[in-house]
Amino acid sequence: MDFSRRAFMSRASALSIAGAATPFVMNLAAIGEAAAATASDYKALVCVFLYGGNDYANTLVPYDTAQYATYTAQRGALGYSQAALAGTVLQPTTPLPGGAQYALAPELGKLLPVFNAGKMAVMLNVGTLVQPTTKAQYLANSVRLPPKLLSHNDQQSYWQASSPEGASSGWGGRIGDLLQSGNGTASLTCINPSGNAVFLSGQSAIQYALTTAGPIALNARNSLQGSAAAATLLQSLIGGSGAHQFQALHGGIGKRALDLYAQVSAGLASAPATTTPFPASADPQSSLGAQLQMVAKLMSVSAGLGAKRQVFFVSTGRYDTHDGLATLHPTLMTNLADALRGFYDTTVELGISQQVTTFTGSDFGRALTANNDGTDHGWGSMHFVLGGAVNGKRYYGTNPTLANGGPDDIGQGRLIPTMAVDQYAATLASWFGVSASNLPTVVPSIGNYAGSTLGTNLGFV
Amino acid sequence: MSEAEVRERVLEDDPAAAPAAAPAEPIRSASGMSPAISAALVTASSLALSACGGDTSSTPTSSSPPPVVVAPPPVVKITATQASRFLSQAAVGYSKAEVLNLADSGIDAWLNAQFAVARPQKFWDFLIAGNYDAAANINTTNGFDPMIWSQLMGSGDILRQRVGLALLDQWVTSVDGFGGSWRQFAMAAYLDVLWDNALGNYRDLMEGVSTNVAMGLYLTFLGNVKANPATGAIPDENYGRESMQLFTVGLTQLNMDGTPVLSGGVPVPTYTQADVSQAARVWTGYTYATNDGTTPARMRLPMIITAARSETGGASFLGITIPPGTDGATARKIALDGLFNHANTAPFVTKQLIQHLVTSNPSPAYVGRVAAVFANNGSGIRGDMKAVVRAILTDSEARDDNQVSSATFGKLREPVVRLVQWAKAFNVSSPTQLWPFGNTSSSANRLGESPGRAPSVFNWFRPGYTPPGSSVSAAGLVAPEFQITNEPTIIAYVNYMQSLIANGAGEAKPDYAALTTIAPDSAALLAELNLVLAANQISAGTIAQMKTALDTIATTTTAGTLNRIYAAIVLVMASPEYLVLR
Repeated sequence: MDFSRRAFMSRASALSIAGAATPFVMNLAAIGEAAAATASDYKALVCVFLYGGNDYANTLVPYDTAQYATYTAQRGALGYSQAALAGTVLQPTTPLPGGAQYALAPELGKLLPVFNAGKMAVMLNVGTLVQPTTKAQYLANSVRLPPKLLSHNDQQSYWQASSPEGASSGWGGRIGDLLQSGNGTASLTCINPSGNAVFLSGQSAIQYALTTAGPIALNARNSLQGSAAAATLLQSLIGGSGAHQFQALHGGIGKRALDLYAQVSAGLASAPATTTPFPASADPQSSLGAQLQMVAKLMSVSAGLGAKRQVFFVSTGRYDTHDGLATLHPTLMTNLADALRGFYDTTVELGISQQVTTFTGSDFGRALTANNDGTDHGWGSMHFVLGGAVNGKRYYGTNPTLANGGPDDIGQGRLIPTMAVDQYAATLASWFGVSASNLPTVVPSIGNYAGSTLGTNLGFV
Repeated sequence: MSEAEVRERVLEDDPAAAPAAAPAEPIRSASGMSPAISAALVTASSLALSACGGDTSSTPTSSSPPPVVVAPPPVVKITATQASRFLSQAAVGYSKAEVLNLADSGIDAWLNAQFAVARPQKFWDFLIAGNYDAAANINTTNGFDPMIWSQLMGSGDILRQRVGLALLDQWVTSVDGFGGSWRQFAMAAYLDVLWDNALGNYRDLMEGVSTNVAMGLYLTFLGNVKANPATGAIPDENYGRESMQLFTVGLTQLNMDGTPVLSGGVPVPTYTQADVSQAARVWTGYTYATNDGTTPARMRLPMIITAARSETGGASFLGITIPPGTDGATARKIALDGLFNHANTAPFVTKQLIQHLVTSNPSPAYVGRVAAVFANNGSGIRGDMKAVVRAILTDSEARDDNQVSSATFGKLREPVVRLVQWAKAFNVSSPTQLWPFGNTSSSANRLGESPGRAPSVFNWFRPGYTPPGSSVSAAGLVAPEFQITNEPTIIAYVNYMQSLIANGAGEAKPDYAALTTIAPDSAALLAELNLVLAANQISAGTIAQMKTALDTIATTTTAGTLNRIYAAIVLVMASPEYLVLR
């Protein structure tokens, strides 16, 4: 595809968001040739998981006078000054009721143009639920609640799988169950460049893991200490089975690693070069940008890999900001914005931004009320969805009353979600091609939201 | 323990006879910080028990005086295969000589000997000996990885090393998880707490960790301040929460056998957010013992409590009551006593230790037997880690040789333990104490795991992890080590081990002299490796395949001989029959 690559590159760089004077939205028709390696009916979901529980109030910061007063009273020196937020105030198409306004954390400024271009939406107070839940119901213990609230490992799992630690499938994988048959290689439906996550495992769909540099080659694949026979046996052992369940499981993963290595590495070798910059990681312990670069690279060769529907999971940690909130969290925000913006721009460069929807998730939100140096575990939170298909420049959901002991929190501004992860997931799954009748297999509790205020499709994509 | 001491601790152990409000478990009173039951603790313990159903089922009756003379147990010799299997569970690694030694002495004597080994060197002293306290190292982690590999690979107290690692998997701190100066020394002091107490008493471990600077930094209660009514600031809840969730009682009420207490078919939570907020009040006021950070000295001094920043208004959580006016140190004692004596703690802690040493899915009966020993070592002492470790390793479920053909018993060997096992089997040494194995956490070219570098307090893998979408998950089993097992880590492990097996790491070289003489006979070579590395759990069929492959490598030259040895070790250590210890 390099025949049109060079021409495309020059246009792309001229039109990129980085060029301040140029219109933000690229003329996708004009650069459609970049999608040559990606099927026209290709779609991808990308989950960006922020491990540790992101602090919502220093991410989407209350800005209008009334909300800001609450925020600064609860946050003290750990909060942003209102002046520092002036440059990142969100001006949505439809303002929030009551004059409520939010600003992005200043370090998320790179995302503001994406929001303003209508390619990014903000979810208000989304979190794990079993069914719509009011504070009165919470206090009366009269509705079912996700077990083990405020526990990291369990809420990570519940977020990804609708079940606490020990879950056997996640909703990304369950989406894969329904759509992997359309892919040439079913094993390349659910892909993780960050490790293992229950999110990507379904009943039959499996997670395929690789590194930020792609799959790993077995050094001894042709010769083990000079012996081809030993190399052959080594691969047979790595991909082998056994009478023990763990042996069979281990061998199954090993076999997949060996079987897919040649296909995936060859596919990646044909990936077009992209010019969108990914800044060096602001957080030295994070590889989020590199993970998303690998995701983009895989997307760019999806046609060659025979993939029409793919679900990706990337992640980064250190969001458990019990202390050092004012110093660490801005770094995390910079890193997140760099990675999300770089990834979004890359999908534009590749001409596939309409086909890729990226969304954030995290264990839980945090308390609004600060401790001496940070914030503690909460529940509901604020999240972002980005992509060419997103109905952006909007808020979705219900703006909670930010307070310490108000109508929407269980104390200290730990929000009771007014939007369920189930609704968020169902909306994404529907865009991806999951039929309404199949939604319950992806999101088992979705029926609990039929007829609720927000319904079963939030409409953000 | 003397006869008199035993008599003093005659137990109120009959649950039927005990009044409902009485503490149903013996309270530890030996060696240190918890000499007596306080009134508050009685209340705490009884409340906890009434909520959780108690764990009294297995405490022994000792209404008659103990025998005056105890005959030494007879030596029960075991086979070399049995010895290697035992050591795979009990030791961080071991040599052929250790296998033969154990086979000859029997398990009981081996355990007693290991229990008697004083620590040859503390982590801290390794750093001092290596001059890592030079001023230039203040803002580095220099010495950290060498310090850990030195202990794991170079120390003779192989039981303590293994239990220490198991404790580090539960009581997690990470040198990558906090900032500041002298982090390698903070970690050294922390690891010394775990290793010092690994075969001591669990209550001492709790105290040591809860006053340790590295934990204070990692779970952010060093610098924690009591609630400020003027600003509305609340105490940091991090240690209050995780000390309950991860280190002592867990999230779900447990029966003594580790199974969850159910109500209407649903597990009953152990505590609520209100309990966490209350517990957080205890962990306020903590700070360094001295402001002098120019040397590492303060990193191993227990944290002190600054009265002005410490909550003295009391707290109430999990049935533990700390009265208003209680000072910080006393509040800590009441809190830790309450957690230590909580009905959940014995099954919660012991099940995880079993999972780390022996099997991912112990039967409830096995957990129950070990938990009972945690509750009471037979002499009225709770939390005796020697007794717990002995109970885990000598339990009939662990020692049953038929388990080798089980489809579910056992565990995936932890990658770090595989590496150390190789090092110990072939006497890897580091002449200048560099132990240059470094950070092994890369999943692209190392182990995907590195000791003391976990990504969070939830460790590299969780005891409740089940590989989703797998037959293991469908069978209702857990397989914790699979949380760090995926396509890259499986291949990276083999690549890394192949490199180490052939080359060592820098100056740290293996010694294959004993193998060189037998390598020309590939069957003998494999027999040796199968025994020492795999406890003879690699089947005859697989060994035959390996023999055929190895016979293609001629041993007519020194290089050929070494290549055959290297290939043989790689094949064994990549084999599923080795990787899954049964």
